[in-house]
Amino acid sequence: MKKVFAVILMVVMLVSALSVIAACDLGNDELTVYFYHTMGQNLQAVLDKHIAEFNKIYPDIEIVHSQEGGYPDVRDKVSQELMVGEGPQMAYCYPDHVALYNIGRQVVDLYDYMNSTEVIPAGSEFGNETEIKVGLTAEEEANFIDGYLAEGTQFVNTDEMLTLPFSKSTEVLYYNETFFTKNNLKVPTHWWCGESCPAGCDTSMEYVCAKIKEIDPKAKPLGYDSEANWFITMCEQLGTDYTSIVPKTSPLDPSKVTYYTFYNDKNVDFLERLNSWYQKGWVTTQTLYGSYTSGLFTTIDASKEKSYMSIGSSAGATHQRPAEVGGKYPFNVGIATIPQADQNNRKVISQGPSVCMLNTGSETKLMATWLFIKYLTTSVEFQTEFSMASGYMPVLENVADEELAKTNKAVAKYVDFIKNADGGDNIAALSAKVAIEQADAYYTSPAFVGSSTARDEMDILLAKVLGMKGEDIRAQIDSALKTALQTCESTNKTPQPNA
Amino acid sequence: MEEKKIDQQVAPQVVEDIDSTIALGTTSLVDKTMDESAVMSERKIEKVKQRQRVAKIVGKIGVYVFLIAMALIVLFPFYWMIISSLKTKDEYYLTQPTFWPTQGLDFANYAQAFKVGNLGVTFANTVYVGIVSTALSLVITVLSAFALARLEFKGKNLLFAGMLATMMIPGELFTITNYKTVVDLGWTNTFTVLIVPFLVSVFYIYLLRQNFMQIPDELYYAAKVDGTSDLKYLWKVMIPIAMPSLISITILKMMGAWNSYVWPRLVASDDVHALITYKLRTTQWDTDPMYVDYPVQMAAVTLVSIPLFMVFIFLRKYIMKGVARSGIKG
Amino acid sequence: MVDKSQQWKAWIYLAPAIVLMLVFTVWPIFNTIMMAFKEGYNPMYELNPEFDGWTFGLQNFIDLFAHASAFTNALVNTLLLCVLTVPISTMLALLIAVALHSIKPLQKLLQTIFFLPYVTNSIAIGMVFSVMFNIVGDVGSPDANYGVINQIFGTMINWMNLGSTKVANYAVMVIYIVWNALPFKILVLLGGLQGVNKQYYDAAKVDGTSKTRVFWRITVPLVSPMIVYVLITGFIGGFKEYSSIVGIFGEDMGATGQQAHENMNTMVGVIYDALPSGQYGKASAAALVLFVIILIVTLINLKISKKSTHY
Repeated sequence: MKKVFAVILMVVMLVSALSVIAACDLGNDELTVYFYHTMGQNLQAVLDKHIAEFNKIYPDIEIVHSQEGGYPDVRDKVSQELMVGEGPQMAYCYPDHVALYNIGRQVVDLYDYMNSTEVIPAGSEFGNETEIKVGLTAEEEANFIDGYLAEGTQFVNTDEMLTLPFSKSTEVLYYNETFFTKNNLKVPTHWWCGESCPAGCDTSMEYVCAKIKEIDPKAKPLGYDSEANWFITMCEQLGTDYTSIVPKTSPLDPSKVTYYTFYNDKNVDFLERLNSWYQKGWVTTQTLYGSYTSGLFTTIDASKEKSYMSIGSSAGATHQRPAEVGGKYPFNVGIATIPQADQNNRKVISQGPSVCMLNTGSETKLMATWLFIKYLTTSVEFQTEFSMASGYMPVLENVADEELAKTNKAVAKYVDFIKNADGGDNIAALSAKVAIEQADAYYTSPAFVGSSTARDEMDILLAKVLGMKGEDIRAQIDSALKTALQTCESTNKTPQPNA
Repeated sequence: MEEKKIDQQVAPQVVEDIDSTIALGTTSLVDKTMDESAVMSERKIEKVKQRQRVAKIVGKIGVYVFLIAMALIVLFPFYWMIISSLKTKDEYYLTQPTFWPTQGLDFANYAQAFKVGNLGVTFANTVYVGIVSTALSLVITVLSAFALARLEFKGKNLLFAGMLATMMIPGELFTITNYKTVVDLGWTNTFTVLIVPFLVSVFYIYLLRQNFMQIPDELYYAAKVDGTSDLKYLWKVMIPIAMPSLISITILKMMGAWNSYVWPRLVASDDVHALITYKLRTTQWDTDPMYVDYPVQMAAVTLVSIPLFMVFIFLRKYIMKGVARSGIKG
Repeated sequence: MVDKSQQWKAWIYLAPAIVLMLVFTVWPIFNTIMMAFKEGYNPMYELNPEFDGWTFGLQNFIDLFAHASAFTNALVNTLLLCVLTVPISTMLALLIAVALHSIKPLQKLLQTIFFLPYVTNSIAIGMVFSVMFNIVGDVGSPDANYGVINQIFGTMINWMNLGSTKVANYAVMVIYIVWNALPFKILVLLGGLQGVNKQYYDAAKVDGTSKTRVFWRITVPLVSPMIVYVLITGFIGGFKEYSSIVGIFGEDMGATGQQAHENMNTMVGVIYDALPSGQYGKASAAALVLFVIILIVTLINLKISKKSTHY
């Protein structure tokens, strides 16, 4: 035993000594671009295919990409690497990640490249055989869906363009079409009756919920997956304050300023209304229900509680479809734009990854990075293929352009995909179709360090508010909003002027 | 008689039979009874004896019921893990969780887990890192524990107290500074970075020191008189005595390699060096970020756990002995 | 009996450990203290070309306690969980160890089962526990799925969903943490029991001591070093409680609708929460507070154990 132990020990020490020696720095190749993302295997396959295409134009640029887990993992890894002077050149990002990286001014202003008039000559170090214009053409820039592109400029304290949209999703309303047709219900376009939806109209959520409750008293007519999205979208639609891109006086301490503006009476108003809906048994949310609300929507067990409408990510369409029974779907799913407060001010959330460029390399390296970002975000081939593989939406307007489809194979394929949309097998196409139709309505919220804290707080707050009971609901809501503000402010100190 | 009854009621059932040795205590109880009531008739004694036997059997049953109930509680999550790994994704996401896969067993999850997770390479990496770091760590731990347990030197108590104090600092806070250190050393994406920073464990040094302390000083001085060198004494006397503890440490250390996540993710996340838990946590088992394919993930967890279970079951005897030896030695 | 040569020999033996600890433990601790006193320290700012240095002061600590919010709440949670779980798990582990030690058939199998949780993955376990307590559907409605635990006991207790009480939340956490802590404690205590010299029991037999007496007067004192050991490590582990909360409640660290000043977050959780946004100053200050508390508790523990340890 002892001899064996000694031998093993010797071998092991030798091996580990060797591994220490092998620990040599590989060094950063000037033309190697590192890209962190969250893509699973089949999306990486799409990416790899298009990297090969990219390399046909720029044979000497090497793209090294790696999946770093989920979005928070990418954020943590990038930020920690930046703090010690490392980091990739390109990363999947959400706005609050970019705000964090940019505390240290580590995010490159993409306007510098988008508006560049520079021309890369043929035979450059990138290996390109033809001349390449660095900037975006007017058409290319206009081809981005405006609401998506705007996200890059939503950062406080800067006029820069810090991100470009990569692949997007939004929220849509899934409804049980079979049930709606059978009961002569109209798809709700409004939350409640108001100016553009006269009193007594049958297209408000309130009306439809009440009706469904009459038909099926056990039902929870509407399931809304994301509490935070609901709160923020209501603010956007009603024009009330949530967060501000310029600092405002803090309601808690007039001598201080804050970016958090959600503590106001107008928000108490609509929260009170939503509370009454929940108390009437009209709605539920993911955390209140204890599971994804799609489960409530897709259940076909008549003895159980179920929902007939579900608001969730457009990228999750296949989960809003009931399981097949005997080769057929037990009911047909319809998809529509979510209800609005005002049809003249339509607002739906824009979510999903963007890409940012990090200041972690030489000018040459960053130029190579830009060329790759430009390639991925402006290529209809990549955008359409990635979209069909992921369920996310392309960020370009012309992907469904029928004129272009005549000359462009990728577009033709996508047009075909959309054309076959239905509430059964091709439900992903149907959600994409609805999402494209509401392209003018996308909004994004201001991004700053701590903007995600507000989101997290709203997630908890809305669930809490819906469950409130008792006499003075308004006072309870007011107090919950105030606490949320205190938490946001104590968690993330807003830099004070003269401080 | 009265006093005994109270004793039996107060004592938790399991205490009834502390040890097969103490089981003999039952006899002593009987003896005592006889002392107290010498006038008792033969029949009465028979009765008491019988009652004692019944109590003993009931006690035994109680002990088994208790242990088996606890064992079932302990086992349930494993059961859940395994059945989850065999469910289809649709079934996993049913609102009401099923306790037995009703939509058929989906063994394809395992094949997919192995492929998607690239488990072959990560498995080999983990074993390699585990073995190397364990071996190096053992050497360092044994030497330190020996010095702290056996040798006398200035500042010993202060040093030991200082080492113990570091155990109380939340390790999360070391991460960022250590990260900067290893980046400055150019160690990122190597096996070195996964091994070296964790070679010293105050916990193991403490454990082994306690072990060594049990060995009487006289043995050491006798060995000194015989002209035995320190290292030889360590090798010939202390290590054999502490061997079970060393094996326990080995297993803990291997499991450390198995379970480490935060650090590997930060410093060695490339495919060549990826460790198993990091891979488990970060692999995107499905394309859909909203609905993780948990059955495949569970299959991966199960696959990864099996070797660990085997090692554990195989070496159980040593672990038990190890901890036992660190206890009282007469 | 101090041998002069032992002086340098000891330092040589300790050298590898000391060098590694200086680099990977002592330096980070020193750095942590520095960060804690740099007001609002966030390494990201240092990358900014316009950055003009840090002010030293107590602001990070003041911020922690400023609003009766996240940190204070976490402090209370951590202390309570510690005080509840450590004695319960130690007692239960001792009972199981004694029971295991007293049986012959099935002993090995049961031992193995009890140690299995040692080699598990926390993802799986956390998810399972969460599922067992979670209510799917409307709390209060007879149609909802109340989870296995309620099913077994025929109750409709709201353990962790919207409107659940803090007491119920704590109950769930205590059950999970105790479950988690058992294997190690059983391992150590059973080891201790098996190491007890049988002569003591033989002596007890001769004296005719009752079994309860044997337990309290012989078994407990003899394994007292083990008990002290599991208590100390238990408390230190308890103060670092974090992943078990994530396992049960997810990243929100509390039941539905619980805001930061009322959820189940722990001190380590607060530290972790501050890290992604680079708030190392605040995280360091929180870690120092945690360190001081653990230090005090350990000193008290050692003091008591010195008095009560048998040998």
